[in-house]
Amino acid sequence: METILFCAPVAADGTLAKASLEALSAAKTLAEGLGATLAVGLFGADVAPAAAAVAACGPVFAVTGEAFAVARYATDAAALEALAKAASATIIIAADDSRVSRALPGVAARLNGRIDAHVVAIAAKDGKPLVTRGYYRQRMTAELTRAARPWCVTVSGGCYAAYDGAPGQASLTDVSVPVTEAMTRTTIKAVVAPSADEQTIRPDAKMLFVAGAGWTKKQGDGAAHVPEAGQLILGFLGKAKASLGSSKSLVDMGGEGESVLPFLTHLHQVGQTGATPRHQKGLATCCHGEEPHVVGWRFITERRAVNLDAACGWAQGKADVLYVADAFEVMRRVNELLG
Amino acid sequence: MNERQSMETDIVCVGFGPAMGGFLTTLAKGIVNEDGSAVMESTVVPGLPPQVICYERADDIGVGVSGVVSKARGIRESLPELDPACIPLCTPITEEKVVYLVDPHGASRRSLPLKAADAALKLLGGKFPGCRYKDMAVELPYIPPFLEKHGGLTFSLGQFNQWVGNTVMATGAAQIWPASPVAAPIIEHRKVVGVRLADQGVDKAGKPDAAYMPGMDVRARLTVVGDGPVGPVGRAIDEARGLPMGHHQRDYAVGMKFVVDLPGNCPWKVGTVIHTIGYPEPEIFGFLYVLPGHVASLGIFVPSWFDNPVRTAYRYLQHWMQHPYLWKYLKGGTIRSFGAKTLQESGKNGEPYLVGDGYARIGEGSGTTNVLTGSGVDEAWTSGVQLGQAVVELLEKGLPFTSENLEKTYVARRRASWVEAEAKIAARSREAFASGFIPGIIGMALTGLTKGALCWPADSEPVHKRIPSIEEYYHGRISCEEITRIRQEATAKGLALHDALMDKVGWPEIEYDGKLLISHQDALLLGGKVQAAPGYADHVTFECPDTCRACAEKTCIEACSGQAITTNPDDGVPLFDREKCVHCGACLWNCSKPSKADPERTNVRFAAGAGGLHSAEN
Amino acid sequence: MFHIVVCGGIVPDPLQTLEPVKGPAGWGLKNELMLPSILDPWASHALYEAAHLAKAVPGSKVWLVSLGPKAKLQQVMMTVAQKAPFELVVADGPAGGFVDSFEVAEALFAAISGIAGLDASKLLLFGGWQSASRGSGSTLQILGEKLGITDQFQGVDKLTVGADGSLEVMERIEGGAYQISTCTGAPAALGWATGELPEPPNNPQVGMANMRLVMPALQKAKPAAVNAAAIDYQSVTLPAQKRETRVVKDTPVDVIAQEIIDWLAS
Repeated sequence: METILFCAPVAADGTLAKASLEALSAAKTLAEGLGATLAVGLFGADVAPAAAAVAACGPVFAVTGEAFAVARYATDAAALEALAKAASATIIIAADDSRVSRALPGVAARLNGRIDAHVVAIAAKDGKPLVTRGYYRQRMTAELTRAARPWCVTVSGGCYAAYDGAPGQASLTDVSVPVTEAMTRTTIKAVVAPSADEQTIRPDAKMLFVAGAGWTKKQGDGAAHVPEAGQLILGFLGKAKASLGSSKSLVDMGGEGESVLPFLTHLHQVGQTGATPRHQKGLATCCHGEEPHVVGWRFITERRAVNLDAACGWAQGKADVLYVADAFEVMRRVNELLG
Repeated sequence: MNERQSMETDIVCVGFGPAMGGFLTTLAKGIVNEDGSAVMESTVVPGLPPQVICYERADDIGVGVSGVVSKARGIRESLPELDPACIPLCTPITEEKVVYLVDPHGASRRSLPLKAADAALKLLGGKFPGCRYKDMAVELPYIPPFLEKHGGLTFSLGQFNQWVGNTVMATGAAQIWPASPVAAPIIEHRKVVGVRLADQGVDKAGKPDAAYMPGMDVRARLTVVGDGPVGPVGRAIDEARGLPMGHHQRDYAVGMKFVVDLPGNCPWKVGTVIHTIGYPEPEIFGFLYVLPGHVASLGIFVPSWFDNPVRTAYRYLQHWMQHPYLWKYLKGGTIRSFGAKTLQESGKNGEPYLVGDGYARIGEGSGTTNVLTGSGVDEAWTSGVQLGQAVVELLEKGLPFTSENLEKTYVARRRASWVEAEAKIAARSREAFASGFIPGIIGMALTGLTKGALCWPADSEPVHKRIPSIEEYYHGRISCEEITRIRQEATAKGLALHDALMDKVGWPEIEYDGKLLISHQDALLLGGKVQAAPGYADHVTFECPDTCRACAEKTCIEACSGQAITTNPDDGVPLFDREKCVHCGACLWNCSKPSKADPERTNVRFAAGAGGLHSAEN
Repeated sequence: MFHIVVCGGIVPDPLQTLEPVKGPAGWGLKNELMLPSILDPWASHALYEAAHLAKAVPGSKVWLVSLGPKAKLQQVMMTVAQKAPFELVVADGPAGGFVDSFEVAEALFAAISGIAGLDASKLLLFGGWQSASRGSGSTLQILGEKLGITDQFQGVDKLTVGADGSLEVMERIEGGAYQISTCTGAPAALGWATGELPEPPNNPQVGMANMRLVMPALQKAKPAAVNAAAIDYQSVTLPAQKRETRVVKDTPVDVIAQEIIDWLAS
């Protein structure tokens, strides 16, 4: 019988991140489907509040101590390894966030197990666990299972509802992990968050606004209007509280010395060599393009586009609505209406 | 990195196509043993075999070329072990057809006799004894022997080139560097002493920008020029030396093609070869080759003697595919690849000086394409083989690569071969097309069947002299006022004129199906996967801006295979977007205005550039 | 001084149309051998960063370790080799995305273990943060573990080497933020995101210099043993993605803007 261990780091305030709670739902679903045992493994400076919050899910194993408060490969991997061993886990499920996805693959290697990351669904089928994940930058989807154990799985954000069961008294087992000098060669210095003005990547936003290269090209009057494009885009982002994505061609221009929108970096790039963000709605403006870059749309549920070209490959067959119009005019008016 | 680097090598080669494949395959056998050891020594790196470097402008070897049907005599002679099954998309020819397509819409511009023939076929076609008239088409009962490719191969030149290139490189005899456009030959004291690569890290105008790296000078004892019909090195040599007396390069065609995953119901057998004539315009010939894996390589040739100033290959290709004879089995198919290239159709008439001190010309740019037999790849390959044999001979004898020595070894071999014999027969076979489609077909048959003894004579003219004004071409079909209105509207929107004009004369609108009938832009992206790395100058420029401003046809825009040359709403000089260019070079000869420097040239300058097609299936 | 090992696979040129097919050797791409290939974009960034670092820290050396079919690698190297100086190490095996990350890491580990003169104490293991094929986000970590590297970083956009050989690393984390860490020095593993360097121009002389080692490396490449059965694929499919697009043309801007506003609010 499988023993499923859900693992998560505990934040400084004692809570679990939303992504982790979503992964917990995935783990719970699988455990229920397989009729398997579910255990919880937590690590951090103080895990008590988090342990109470998930107490209903199963027994909790915990690695605690200051060294485990920070997102550092060596200590995270040591904690995860110890938790997996303590719980005798055969399947380990965690969130696909930066911290766990950095450490868990190495843990799989230490345990002589295997790992699948970026998993979008995990279910029991014919008594076996079956995971679904993307290949080739989400251009195809595979359903797979494995015989090897332990099997580590990291679950992408936004695929499951966050667990919100009633808190309780956790059955807590402390797992001790000695902190060696080799584990603290790396020191976390700082987390640099983008300032409020440039907070243009908002994973929690309902809407993704995609800016394409057309914003920087010559407009009808024969001149480029890059500063106005910047104002319109930022104005919309602020008012609609939207997240910002950009096409590769627009981001790349920065490297070619062309006048570009100064707030755009490679972090905003969506598509083949960029991100595939998940949002309820997406509005693409001045994008023209092709399948690989359109991959950036894959996880946008409702898609609309504003473009001058009615045959545009970015929109045709991929967007729900294509407005054939000048994005400058449309966004100017939209911003006015948004107040 | 701002200083121009220089490097010495033994042999530098420009352009990796079939001719260079034949050259390097032959050379490799002569200069290295099977174990990779040197048969002879390099003069620049003693102890090693002669250093051979080939620069190819496209981003990979085997991207951006075309489907082929060939007798493959030369290819099989130098690769006797060749097994078509080893090369993807390669197969022996099993069936050949020549088909005359009737115009189902009545929108093409046909001469009266042709209209009469069409009417008769439509009325009585099925009733003529022995006439196989079906689906608005007649399969000709007989294929003239000069056109037959029976016993040959049909294949993807991209896959073939990849296979040849990898085989050559694995011998260690040569390095083939893609994404390396060669800007020009280095000529010193009337001798070619190497080549200069294109500058990188420059802006559109070629001015140094971030990461500027001047193109390296590669100096060599021998420069092998195989850069095709529009290659800048070959053309620079022609400009410096001129063409031999009486020779001129005035006949071209642009070949535009799709590679298609055929629909399930398509009965065409692998190895089937279909040639079409008559539609979408009488001047436009079509081809369709059925390759392994239920795939077809198909397309059209739009020749320089098609006197239509709005000669858009793309729109015509879509009408051609939809001809009932073809569409019956193509409908439901999906595009896999798209591409276009210029064919140098002057053949022997346009042959440049094949050799000079320090250089030799091979392949299509050297006039190997045979327009009578409709064959070019095997001829190009064979010219490369002949140079390969000659170079090995000169290296073995320790003789320098002088004009005289190359003449005695390479040119002598070429003159004594079937390539030359057939080129001579073909030399005047196409002349009559200058007088029209029917004289052209008759003239070609006359020349082919009499093995060159007879022809239908006609005067040739540079292409730009043949291109009429739009008003002249559409005389009687669209009024001058209407053309003026269409021109104003299209220019304001930055569009070419052909769609509006063709709609006007009765061509049905293309109903996109997202699979084969797709926008030109989508064909570039889904089919050709066209892209271009930054940091290179625009390779298409206009010599005299005022000439463009005064030009009313702007055939460069209409004929552009990639929609890379577009109307400029603010100025009469067209815009060029190098990220869309497929490097077919059609603009170079489709310009209707002569260069002020040389009336045989046009106002378009076409230089070395990186990027373009990224499909290796063409 | 660093010994930088960059791991990078080859992937289909990004604009190619991809379709999964099941063959005798398991899942792969339709016409996989025909598709033009490139070095994985993220691994390319890692390679440029490695070359940049090696240039800045005298005595350093760069190896490019790649698992892929020999013939295809040879072709890709003709483009990559002009970009940055490196020595190639080849594991002759499949380059496709359907191979398990653990198997890939083992093949790479075997190839790296065979590098003569590689000093583990100076080792910086570089690779792409994700790949354009498998995108497993796990190969580098597993390989790092096998090489005994327990200082690992992912989504790296910047590496600064201190005078004492310490490493300051900027990693992408959630919400557009960066985590900045310092590590006392090599060995370390870094999975690169896009980094900060533009693609270098093609330098023919760098290409020529690399080629002296590339061809012998290809010739002596050992077949890599990867177990294709590590993953039991139940299905691989292309997402049905065609949507019915409603095209709104010739409509006043006010109407379009209002429609967008209504949609936003819905």
